[in-house]
Amino acid sequence: MFYSEQKKQITTYNRRTFFLFLLKLSLFTAVGWRIYNIQILDSSKYETLSKKNQIDLEIIFPLRGKIFDRNNILIADNEKVYDVYLIPENTKSINNTLNSLSKFIDIDFAKRRKIIQLTSKVKKFEKIKIFENISWSNLEKIETNKYNLEGIFIAEDHLRIYPYKEVFSHLLGYISKPNQKELSLPFISKMPNLDIGKEGLEKSFNPLLVGKAGQREIEVNSSGRVIREISKVDSIQGKELHLSLDLRIQEYAVNLLQSYRAGSINVINIKNGEILCMASTPTYDPNKIIKKPNKEYWDSILSNSLSPLTNRSLQGLYSPGSTFKMIVAIAALKYGVISSKSTHSCSGKIEFGDRLYHCWKTNGHGKMDVTNAITQSCDVFFYEISKKLGIDKIAKVAEDFGLGQIFDISMPNQKKGIIPSKKWKKTTLGESWYAGETLISGIGQGFVLTSPFQLAVMTSIIASDGKIVEPTILKSKNINFKTNSKYSDEIKIIKKAMFNVVNINKGTAFKSRLQDVKFSGKTGTSQVRSISLSERESDEFRKKEQEWKKRDHALFVGYIPYDDPQYAISVIIEHGGSGASTAAPIAKQVFNYIHKLNL
Amino acid sequence: MIFQKLKNLNYLLIFLLILLSFIGAAGLYSAADGSYQPWASRHLIRFYVFLLIAIVISIIDIKLIYKYCYLLFIISLLLLISVEVIGVLGKGATRWIRIFGLSIQPSEIVKITIILALAKFYNDIKFENVKKISYLFFPFLILIIPFIFVVIQPDLGTSLSIITLGIFILFIVGIRLWKFILGFIATIISIPILLQFIKPYQRERIISFLNPESDPLGQGYQLIQSKIALGSGGSTGKGFLQGTQSYLEYLPEKQTDFIFTLIGEEFGFLGTIFIIFLFVLLIAVCYFISFKCFHSFGKILALGVASNIFIYVFMNIAMVSGLLPVVGIPLPLISYGGSVMLSIMISMGLVLNVDLNYNLKKLNNA
Repeated sequence: MFYSEQKKQITTYNRRTFFLFLLKLSLFTAVGWRIYNIQILDSSKYETLSKKNQIDLEIIFPLRGKIFDRNNILIADNEKVYDVYLIPENTKSINNTLNSLSKFIDIDFAKRRKIIQLTSKVKKFEKIKIFENISWSNLEKIETNKYNLEGIFIAEDHLRIYPYKEVFSHLLGYISKPNQKELSLPFISKMPNLDIGKEGLEKSFNPLLVGKAGQREIEVNSSGRVIREISKVDSIQGKELHLSLDLRIQEYAVNLLQSYRAGSINVINIKNGEILCMASTPTYDPNKIIKKPNKEYWDSILSNSLSPLTNRSLQGLYSPGSTFKMIVAIAALKYGVISSKSTHSCSGKIEFGDRLYHCWKTNGHGKMDVTNAITQSCDVFFYEISKKLGIDKIAKVAEDFGLGQIFDISMPNQKKGIIPSKKWKKTTLGESWYAGETLISGIGQGFVLTSPFQLAVMTSIIASDGKIVEPTILKSKNINFKTNSKYSDEIKIIKKAMFNVVNINKGTAFKSRLQDVKFSGKTGTSQVRSISLSERESDEFRKKEQEWKKRDHALFVGYIPYDDPQYAISVIIEHGGSGASTAAPIAKQVFNYIHKLNL
Repeated sequence: MIFQKLKNLNYLLIFLLILLSFIGAAGLYSAADGSYQPWASRHLIRFYVFLLIAIVISIIDIKLIYKYCYLLFIISLLLLISVEVIGVLGKGATRWIRIFGLSIQPSEIVKITIILALAKFYNDIKFENVKKISYLFFPFLILIIPFIFVVIQPDLGTSLSIITLGIFILFIVGIRLWKFILGFIATIISIPILLQFIKPYQRERIISFLNPESDPLGQGYQLIQSKIALGSGGSTGKGFLQGTQSYLEYLPEKQTDFIFTLIGEEFGFLGTIFIIFLFVLLIAVCYFISFKCFHSFGKILALGVASNIFIYVFMNIAMVSGLLPVVGIPLPLISYGGSVMLSIMISMGLVLNVDLNYNLKKLNNA
């Protein structure tokens, strides 16, 4: 029995071994046949090719995809320009050629060294771009003296231009040559001469925008003249990008922000999540970065202490201040800490632990329910309810409303911000949570940090009665968002209060109301430093003459129209003073503008 | 005892190895414009050292090798994983690890330990159990774990060769053909699912690897130059050191993956077909050893090693002649590179060992 089993095994082994050997032999035969074809049958063809060494492969660079705003207005385009190239292989000596060329174009020492360094890095037959976007007069001079300039030729190229300059700079970013590190990244073509997106959408959509390079196989004689084209594969232009952004609103917002040193305005279409506007100032002109020489411009950007390269909407983190109170109120209602009718009395301050916690209104608001507390932004009310709630419940609700997260909108380097919790503090700071910190968090100060865009998403979710609005920067068909009815009862109360903020006499933003179309919102004023007792007593601390950097940030979040919300906004003016006096009027202007546009 | 063993070594096999590595050295000598530096001399020194290692391996007690198969497999797997971890920490893909001043590519070593582990597994189970599905689970693990770690490196050439190697071995031990077909279909279906599990940066690495159009100049150019070199060699070649090489200058891998084209240019069709013939002979010797061996362990081991060499040779020549995309597989014993040569010579040591112990009745744990 055992032996027959083993015999069977050996028979199987041997039979299959034989088959496998046959398979391998036949595969080897196939390879051998291929080699035979190349070395014997086609040998003469390859021999002539090898003698003259005349096959060259030329890359045809693709045109970068265009980018449009939602109304098909071009916001990133390609402009025809003329560049000067050098092919090291075709020169007798690179130095000689550069000498002759310097009669027409100024080549300084650094430039010359850079060109020579570059020639050692690329393949000899590859062309190197040595001057970009040359003027018409230079073009003429070089063209007429072409025969004295070995290895130099002029080719048409396309330069990326952004017609609206600084309006979309943080969103679109800019393009530039890949550096050594980027060349080794996936999705970056291994072509050192092809621009890639370095920031913003140009970066995140680079694989789409870049297109496909074509190639030309050409036969060249010994003197370098092209004899014939053997094959040509055309390049394919990159895909077009259609953004959700509206040029008119974006431009309007950027212009409004220009009156201040730094700030951000974000507008989201609540119904489909489309981002209509994401403005951040100070900004920069990407055209000036792309056009060489750009050193001076770069230096001016880098030396600007307000860091114009930062997209404040996504990368700026601010204490949300009173705009955070909606979250705390929803949490308190949800977890039964208060009902819509519960009241707390505000005397201008409360004592907790061994500290005093002040309301912005020194004399106090008196008896407050949740609606009034939001309408008049009473701090004491929120100290009281957050004390009872505890930080972890606040954090839970905040995260449900999009705070502390980054969004899938293809914008690189978004900042998460901080939604503090006991666990967060333990893991990041290694300390345990103090109850007093809950109070401070309850009015959006302390550890809480949010980006302006997160606040806009938060407002969108509130305005849409809890639907999880997923923002998008691409023009999209109507999306059905997940309905989250978890908080719908609480949101109703909050929305009433947000209506009052703008539309009743006592509301903090009453001065910014619109007559023909009513909107709702919430002001916020976030402290950038703690106010000392002596300052508080002297009542000096709210004076406008304070040093700019010490002034409060002004915030406003809101949505329009109040009864059937269509658009949500967040406005932040850095060190702008109070939300009511600075941010709310800006939101009003933007809303009014959108309303007049009749989208 | 040792002298007896040394006397009985399969000298035909050793002769073939020496011949192939000498051809490699000649090619490398020519690739360096007629100089032993930087490749040819190191190639030969490595070969002698590794040949010594192979002979030492060949005279080790086969029971000892048999006993530690799984352990060796796990160690090589850990090396492979450590490369991935180092790659992550160093923020860059790497396939190498430095041991005793030698850059080792664990994915090459792992191929040998896969053969060992599978040989032990199928040696140990009863033949009637081979057909049972439940007995497929373990071999599947042996193949799939290293495969996944090689794929995410990403080294598509090596990961493909691991799978092919596995299929060859599983075929030999008597797995039914329909299971291969089923497995193939299952693989096709599970690819998108598997892609979900790996980290985004790894996914990007693989996708960009599969998309050679990101480098249109590189590969197209390499292939044209490679074909010109081969074709211009004709039937008898331009003669040793007579290759013009002007077009090979742009081949970044002329001393490694494209060495075959260089030899093809200088020695022509006669040279290339002779190399193929030598490899066929080498593989046939391994097959013969597998055939005459009494125990399954040795049979599978010799056959696995033969298949491993076959995969290298076939993929490399098919690649440089344009039958397969350029995936970066060297030609064993001829291409420059210590890691592959070490793994080939270790595996040859194992085959020599099997050849010395072919008449053992059965290996088991007892």
